[in-house]
Amino acid sequence: MAFFRGEEGSVSFEKDGGTNAAITSTRSWSLTVNKELLEVTDHGDTSRAYVGGLISGEGTVEVLYTASSSDETNDFISDIFTTEDGGDATFELFLDTSGTKKLSFAGIITSAEYSATVGELEVITCNFTVNGAITEAI
Amino acid sequence: MAAIDLNTLRYTIEGRMKTEFDAMPAYHVAFHNTPYVPTPNSTWLQCLVSFGVNSYLTQGGTTGSDNSVRGVMAINIFTPKGDGPGANYTITKRARDLFNRQVVSGIIFDAVNGPEVVATPIPEGFFQTQMRVTFEAFESL
Repeated sequence: MAFFRGEEGSVSFEKDGGTNAAITSTRSWSLTVNKELLEVTDHGDTSRAYVGGLISGEGTVEVLYTASSSDETNDFISDIFTTEDGGDATFELFLDTSGTKKLSFAGIITSAEYSATVGELEVITCNFTVNGAITEAI
Repeated sequence: MAAIDLNTLRYTIEGRMKTEFDAMPAYHVAFHNTPYVPTPNSTWLQCLVSFGVNSYLTQGGTTGSDNSVRGVMAINIFTPKGDGPGANYTITKRARDLFNRQVVSGIIFDAVNGPEVVATPIPEGFFQTQMRVTFEAFESL
């Protein structure tokens, strides 16, 4: 049985539908996928019944600030300032270093928190919402 | 970038101390694993560099990822016994100014701790103070 550690993960990103490239200073990522519940309880039932509804997702990527413009990190941490965002930014969240175990989707960065604290590395935390379907290959 | 060479870090830190204290007024600086028998009632220093707990900085495999390499340097300052602390602290200031919040060749030095008076000097027969400064360097694989 194989187990994986967080440092084996990574994130690739492209802001407007081109080819994804790595965000080299990623410290962590998370994705929460939700499925709505639709109640289908019948009159006379004594217990509630449901079916699954629409699926949605949102998550967070945490990166270290590097001032680099040679990879996707700069595009990623600046994407919150995209106006009239068409939701065409593409994300790939990798679970291991093989490059095949991943969750892929288009999304919109909905918030970014920039921070600088004495004695600590500067961290930027971006939250996103998935736009459309998530392709899972895990 | 490549895996960090710990010997390069050590050389950079020790070289900074040696350059400073080779200048007048010059004092001998002893390092790890360098034999030195101090003259009684002399003034001299000891610079001890050690590496500590390192950690992951970013995700990724053995390439395209980063680590934090941390260490601590202890500087012992020995001055003649019975002459008060003034001469010792004058030398301490020289050493402190070398590293206090400095960034040297990619090595980030934190605020310096000390000098603390060492109650039982080793070796005996001196007035000894000790400063410690932690440092960090980033390793890009």
